[in-house]
Amino acid sequence: MRNLTHHLAQRRYAAALVAGTLALGSLTLGARAEAAPTSEGLECLTDAHNTFSLTARDGYVSTPDGNSIYMWGYGPSSGSFQLPGPVLCVTAGTHVRVILHNTLVEPTSIVFPGQSGVTADGKPAQPQLTDTGSMTSLTQSADATGGSVTYEFTAGSPGTYLYESGTDVAKQVQMGLYGALVVRPAGHPAQANDRSDSAFDPDHEYVFLLSEVDPDLHLGVERGDPVDVAHSTARYFMINGRSMPDTLAPNHASWLPNQPYGAMVHIKPYDAQTNPHPALIRYLNAGSVNYPFHPHGSDERVVTQDGSALAGSGGQDLSYLKYDLDVEPGQSLDALMDWRDVEQWDPATNPIPTQLPAIQDQLLVGPDTWFSESGYLGKKGSLPTNITANNECGEYYHVAHSHALQQATNYGATFGGMMTVFRIDPPAGCPTS
Amino acid sequence: MPVTTFTAPSTNLRPRLLLNCGLAVVLALVLGYVLLRPHGPGGSAGAAVPQSTQLESRTGVRFSRVAVVGDGGLVTLSYVVLDAEKASAFQADREHPPRLASEARHGGTQRASIMRAGHQMRAGQTYYFVYENTGGAIESGEQVTISYDGLSLEHVPVL
Repeated sequence: MRNLTHHLAQRRYAAALVAGTLALGSLTLGARAEAAPTSEGLECLTDAHNTFSLTARDGYVSTPDGNSIYMWGYGPSSGSFQLPGPVLCVTAGTHVRVILHNTLVEPTSIVFPGQSGVTADGKPAQPQLTDTGSMTSLTQSADATGGSVTYEFTAGSPGTYLYESGTDVAKQVQMGLYGALVVRPAGHPAQANDRSDSAFDPDHEYVFLLSEVDPDLHLGVERGDPVDVAHSTARYFMINGRSMPDTLAPNHASWLPNQPYGAMVHIKPYDAQTNPHPALIRYLNAGSVNYPFHPHGSDERVVTQDGSALAGSGGQDLSYLKYDLDVEPGQSLDALMDWRDVEQWDPATNPIPTQLPAIQDQLLVGPDTWFSESGYLGKKGSLPTNITANNECGEYYHVAHSHALQQATNYGATFGGMMTVFRIDPPAGCPTS
Repeated sequence: MPVTTFTAPSTNLRPRLLLNCGLAVVLALVLGYVLLRPHGPGGSAGAAVPQSTQLESRTGVRFSRVAVVGDGGLVTLSYVVLDAEKASAFQADREHPPRLASEARHGGTQRASIMRAGHQMRAGQTYYFVYENTGGAIESGEQVTISYDGLSLEHVPVL
């Protein structure tokens, strides 16, 4: 009897141990990053209670030319420095709480452009003024080296928004204090906005957060020297905190420990039955100048701008196709993108009824090409030996980059900077991917 | 007649309970870490790239990283310029880019493209080639041999 009681007690404590472990585990988890469906897709930070704890930290990022640049950034408080801040994903109409902790040597804050009724530590978020009327911050800030502040708001209309520093804005945003906020339509998480014609494939959702870096300014901040933001000159241009070719690398690439997000679109051709929905690309500009982002090969349909669905007062569809998306400072554009095999060319049953253009017309620049060596999706042909190619299985690569070409360089070295590729696989995919 | 009852734990269970609670906390922390930590493709970022004095003397560059990118479809080969004059000649030799060959399987790639040739290369700066990765010739986590002009650099980790 004693042994049985003892055994049952042990079992009960074992069960309690497991339950306690799971409970503690869930407490430990809190807000968590949801893995992206593709290796470079949108990785959301979500929380059941929409409570996000972010910490402003300093750290370093790598550029493809071997430079290492001092930056500031928002990262999950449970994590470490990263650039850009995590993508916070919430649903329209829900209550959101963002707790900012500050480890930087000066006060900092977060503003949420596009959100209304924001409070800071329970009071209306509003500009901070000195006794003489000089503004010190667009909103209440967290004190240097250990301060914190809690912002709360109700998520507004569906779309994509920046969150960024509201303190010494030109300097702190240049230093990297920015991230993206995605607001999803209530009940329709696979739509860009409240309109049903903004439906997208949730497995192919991407954020392209565009920004720039003046390394001299960053060095000055690192050394504690006075900096002149008004006369800065950007040398690096980034998508999601990376420059080409690092934009092609997967999320959480081991050689980019502080730059966790890739920036490559990877889709298959539209098919009414098997692949009916387009990809969604959420563009944001955290920089100081326009970034004329230009995907080769396909138009994109802009459906939302700054969190407003492009629709007339009577519900008319005002979305538009664009071949060069001018993303202005502080702006966001949500664009649907698909690729349609309109002609259905096939080398056996429906050959291209003309001589293929000379190879130089298929080239990127000089003797380089992403061309598959065949005009047919999923087929590879032969190229002259002096031609080099980037192709795995006959897939298409469409280069996408800022068409302000100095922004497509790494400190002036072509190709680099704000550049990536949109990869289109054959309907059956590539054998190895 | 035996009766099954649940009773309060005897006092000699308490040390074990404390131990178990401690274990639970540790397990929770480990669980949280495992679930939350970034899962970086390519293994350790700190895997050292071997060096070859011969190859560096010939090319004027030091290879610094091989990585599978483009969702598996592309490979980047990064290199640091040691001697700008030799490196310029190396980069301009477009018909003979370095070959990357898997050491685990028959497979490799020699179809390099951008970085664009013609740069005025600077010592200490990193440049890159992007290769096609036909049929997944190179895989993350394995080692490759880089060959150029009869010289080889073995056991280069692929990130």
